[in-house]
Amino acid sequence: MRMSIKLTTQAYCKMLLHAAKYPHCAVNGLLVAEKQKEKKKDSHSTPILCVDCIPLFHGTLALAPMLEVALTLIDTWCKENKYVIAGYYQANERTKDFRPNQVSEKVGARIAENFSEAAMIMVDSTRFTMGCYEPILAIYDHHENKWKCRDCNVDSFDDWCEAQKITSALLEGRSYESLIDFDNHLDDLRNDWTNPEINKSVLHLC
Amino acid sequence: MRDKLRKWREDNHRNSEQIVDVGEELINEHASKLGDDIWIIYEQVMIAALDCSRDDLAWTCLQELKRQFPGSQRVKRLAGMRLEALEKYEDANKQYDSILQDDPTNTAARKRKISILKAQGKSAEAIRELNEYLEQFVGDQEAWHELSELYINEHDYGKAAFCLEELMMTNPHNHLYCEQYAEVKYTQGGLENLELSRKYFAQALKLNNRNMRALFGLYMSASHIAASPKVNATVKKANVKYATWATNQINRAYQVSYARKKFNNRLKLSENMVVVDVVSKPNTTKWTALSKVMINSKH
Repeated sequence: MRMSIKLTTQAYCKMLLHAAKYPHCAVNGLLVAEKQKEKKKDSHSTPILCVDCIPLFHGTLALAPMLEVALTLIDTWCKENKYVIAGYYQANERTKDFRPNQVSEKVGARIAENFSEAAMIMVDSTRFTMGCYEPILAIYDHHENKWKCRDCNVDSFDDWCEAQKITSALLEGRSYESLIDFDNHLDDLRNDWTNPEINKSVLHLC
Repeated sequence: MRDKLRKWREDNHRNSEQIVDVGEELINEHASKLGDDIWIIYEQVMIAALDCSRDDLAWTCLQELKRQFPGSQRVKRLAGMRLEALEKYEDANKQYDSILQDDPTNTAARKRKISILKAQGKSAEAIRELNEYLEQFVGDQEAWHELSELYINEHDYGKAAFCLEELMMTNPHNHLYCEQYAEVKYTQGGLENLELSRKYFAQALKLNNRNMRALFGLYMSASHIAASPKVNATVKKANVKYATWATNQINRAYQVSYARKKFNNRLKLSENMVVVDVVSKPNTTKWTALSKVMINSKH
């Protein structure tokens, strides 16, 4: 039975903040989960909890070198923090375009090579509001080399009410202005793609 | 405030929310003190307002500009942009067509028509129109760059490279074009393209030794070449040297940037630094080694 994926507030929040920071660009990033100690083979498997999100790029997503650098660096960071790269998200440049494309499928497949339960998430910008009244993601699972869309509802979240409340608050407060993605890091190494300040804000509001 | 707006204009920043904040206040409260600057500010704020869905503000700015410059093509184009923002593409196209009837050489109107195609997802048509445009207006760098991006999004890296070559020819000192060209070549793949990409990453570094993308790119391309089974021992050795050099530089760059934050722990340089293990093992081993250094330097 396929394990379902769940998102924490911090993960969902940073994804949306990234999309909000660059409304005129495509954006993408990674989702990380805590590394499971043993594989549970029973049918009631615990869902994979994506605890954090690492925003990667904005603008042109279809170039390889910096993506490979990011994957490698983040993979190492994950190992040091007992995380594993568990998913990939993307928001396309055009609002009405929320279907996966070649980039998302390729990166998703690469992640799935290392983590079989990897999820590919597309952000539906047509439903993106400040109030965040509904989850705006489409979650895709990798099945026999194809990506199949799974229904995303409040059950895909660790605590939807909290996620909704906090994401909305941070959007209103324009926290996205201080969100750092990997592109920002490459522009200035002091920019921290783990976004500790935003993480603190999320905790503070919990 | 005026200076902020000017700087953003000159740098072509798309920080629309900030422009609206600053611009709206300036217009509402200090209009009389702005003199003739006010017209260019109206234009800047209007475009930013369109970005933020502030049609009220955009309309106000447009009206002021219409009053001051009746019959102006530039203002007509702004009116067209407002229609685009409202997704009234047919009306916007009519607006631009009327500009082009009066003045067939109006580049702004032609480029807006191409943007409409892009907004509608008609990439192939946008590419075709942009190519036609460039046949006439060969020196339009913004257009060449836009075309390279359109090609990259369609994964047509060969044609994207061609566009960037045009840009590099006319801007030989621009490290960004060099670096982007290298990225495209790297993405195209194959030994020849990798070697080219390494050369252009190196060139970008020569033009600007603080370009981190160029540095990382140099490391990646040199590593890939060194690991390729198709190269002879000399080439392998040379590329290992380049990759090692790049590692050192990257390491130093991280040290410098984090030193400013006064991190106390020391770097674990030892066994992980040197990229010598060019065995048929997958590249991840080397990259992990490199990245370990960088991660450690953060703490």
